[in-house]
Amino acid sequence: MALLKVKFDQKKRVKLAQGLWLMNWFSVLAGIIIFSLGLFLKIELRKRSDVMNNSESHFVPNSLIGMGLLSCVFNSLAGKICYDALDPAKYAKWKPWLKPYLAVCVLFNIALLLVTLCCFLMRGSLESTLAHGLKNGMKYYRDTDTPGRCFMKKTIDMLQIEFKCCGNNGFRDWFEIQWISNRYLDFSSKEVKDRIKSNVDGRYLVDGVPFSCCNPSSPRPCIQYQLTNNSAHYSYDHQTEELNLWVNGCRAALLSYYSSLMNSMGAVTLLVWLFEVTITIGLRYLHTALEGVSNPEDPECESEGWLLEKSVSETWKTFLESLKKLGKSNQVEAEGADAGQAPEAG
Amino acid sequence: MAPVLPLVLPLQPRIRLAQGLWLLSWLLALAGGLALLCSGHLLAQLWHLHTFLSPSCPFAALPHVALAAGAVALGTGLVGAGASRASLDAAQYPPWRKVLGPLLVVGTAGGGGLLVLALGLALALPGSLDTGLEEGLGTALAHYKDTEVPGHCHAKRLLDELQLKHHCCGRHGYKDWFGIQWVSSRYLDPNDQDVVDRIQSNVEGLYLIDSVPFSCCNPHSPRPCLQSRLSEPHVHPLFDPRQPNLNLWAQGCHRVLLGHLQGLASMLGSMLAVTFLLQILVLLGLRYLQTALEGLGGVIDGEGETQGYLFPSGLKDMLKTAWRQGGVADRPAPEEAPPEEAPPKEGLPEA
Repeated sequence: MALLKVKFDQKKRVKLAQGLWLMNWFSVLAGIIIFSLGLFLKIELRKRSDVMNNSESHFVPNSLIGMGLLSCVFNSLAGKICYDALDPAKYAKWKPWLKPYLAVCVLFNIALLLVTLCCFLMRGSLESTLAHGLKNGMKYYRDTDTPGRCFMKKTIDMLQIEFKCCGNNGFRDWFEIQWISNRYLDFSSKEVKDRIKSNVDGRYLVDGVPFSCCNPSSPRPCIQYQLTNNSAHYSYDHQTEELNLWVNGCRAALLSYYSSLMNSMGAVTLLVWLFEVTITIGLRYLHTALEGVSNPEDPECESEGWLLEKSVSETWKTFLESLKKLGKSNQVEAEGADAGQAPEAG
Repeated sequence: MAPVLPLVLPLQPRIRLAQGLWLLSWLLALAGGLALLCSGHLLAQLWHLHTFLSPSCPFAALPHVALAAGAVALGTGLVGAGASRASLDAAQYPPWRKVLGPLLVVGTAGGGGLLVLALGLALALPGSLDTGLEEGLGTALAHYKDTEVPGHCHAKRLLDELQLKHHCCGRHGYKDWFGIQWVSSRYLDPNDQDVVDRIQSNVEGLYLIDSVPFSCCNPHSPRPCLQSRLSEPHVHPLFDPRQPNLNLWAQGCHRVLLGHLQGLASMLGSMLAVTFLLQILVLLGLRYLQTALEGLGGVIDGEGETQGYLFPSGLKDMLKTAWRQGGVADRPAPEEAPPEEAPPKEGLPEA
């Protein structure tokens, strides 16, 4: 009662081996593609690690890189095996290795599926990392004189310009922090003194935003300061004005960017996984078909290929029994050693 | 009738010629493909920047011609690779025999002509970029405020995006913004005395201020961007005019765009030069291979020596043959016999 039996004659076997050889080399290409996708994602995460507090998880790109390399190695090996499978002399040296190799392939396919799932599920951890990182980034915006943080202003400005976003959740986040360095405040001015006294922490808070929040699509020159004061600007109503600044928060913008990146990578990896599963099944059929060649002198004879020798439940029972036997054989050896020692002692 | 530039080609050198030609043809195909990509990239850049180039600037002709020249070079390379591969295999060569002649003519005339034209344009046209950009940028700056005038409503957004992306400000510097009105009149308060004073202070009634748009701001500056009242530095606290000005972008957009486009044009020009050289070599090699194999009657593996040449006779003789053939074709058919005797008689006294 073999699982999914297929009859193979010589021609079919040769065609299977040739088809598998070609598929394996395409799969090596696919492995290279996955490797480069992982590398690209790693570089993109590194580029913006400043706004993620350098604490972002590199699990997904690292695993994609590892899977890509493994796929290249395994599939080139499988290609060599398929090439040699047509020559009985060369195939004989591969014979003892095929069963463990197929087991390793199955494990590799399972790992690839897990990596694909991870690609789709990483969104949650990225969201919290981004929220913390952007909050800190905005806090250090004014520290352009502090060594180690002097680049934060440039980073946040370029980020807001490139991703067309403002602040963490929106532009009002800038009202709650002091983003103008004390060095450029005129402390002799009454207005500055009033603002600093108006809050507990002694910070200079303004209802203004940096220039990088400005939206070029606005029909009027950008209004950056006194945003909540309608009378400060001619024909301006801050409740209805939508085009003046970017509306999106940078957390949402970055999250959607990285999500779309990882989703498309997950889709590509899923396709590659399906391809790999097909190759593993084909290799199993080739293996069993070549094993089934009853008369090695007559290469033209028919043979049968199958996935599993017995049905799934019987195979599972056999597997459990072999595990038990392994345990029992250890026990018997121990008992034998004791019995051997006892007569010696006795 | 001596052949022009003959070359004796026994079997081994013929094979070497075919193999070397195959390699050169693939190189030509690669160079043609790269020239195609370069000109495509230049076309894309020009499309993005078309508002900043005056419509009368002829620069756009260069990528179009280069595109055609690159495509023909790519085709020539592929044909050359196929022909040189076929010339090594007796079974594959006969179909190529008939096609090779006309293909060589098309390759030389069409491909060579297009490449020469493209090279000429690559050398001559970048000079016209200067005036084209000057006019285009001037128009764009003048229409910055016209965000509600149909036809110019995108000028503000495009110019802001240009300044943000290319890190430049104004045409030649930030002071260009002081000379034009870049704030739309719709957002000017007619009751504000300052506005009225400024409008009355100049002949054209423009609202001129010593401020710049936000897109001129340089993110590398350690202080928040100073956009307004730039000609009165003492107004801003701790402004030190002796320090290098990191506040705004220092370069003008004219210089930045000119450098960018001229760089792309020179890269395209060098690609085209390499393609031209390779094309000449491939066409010459193909011609020699073709005439050598014709000398053997199309038999590839013949051990005999043959001569390859560029032209079967000198230029004068070729023109005469072509003229005579044209003359024979003009005469009516029944009189074919006598005209056949006439040309050799004409030929003999001259020789």
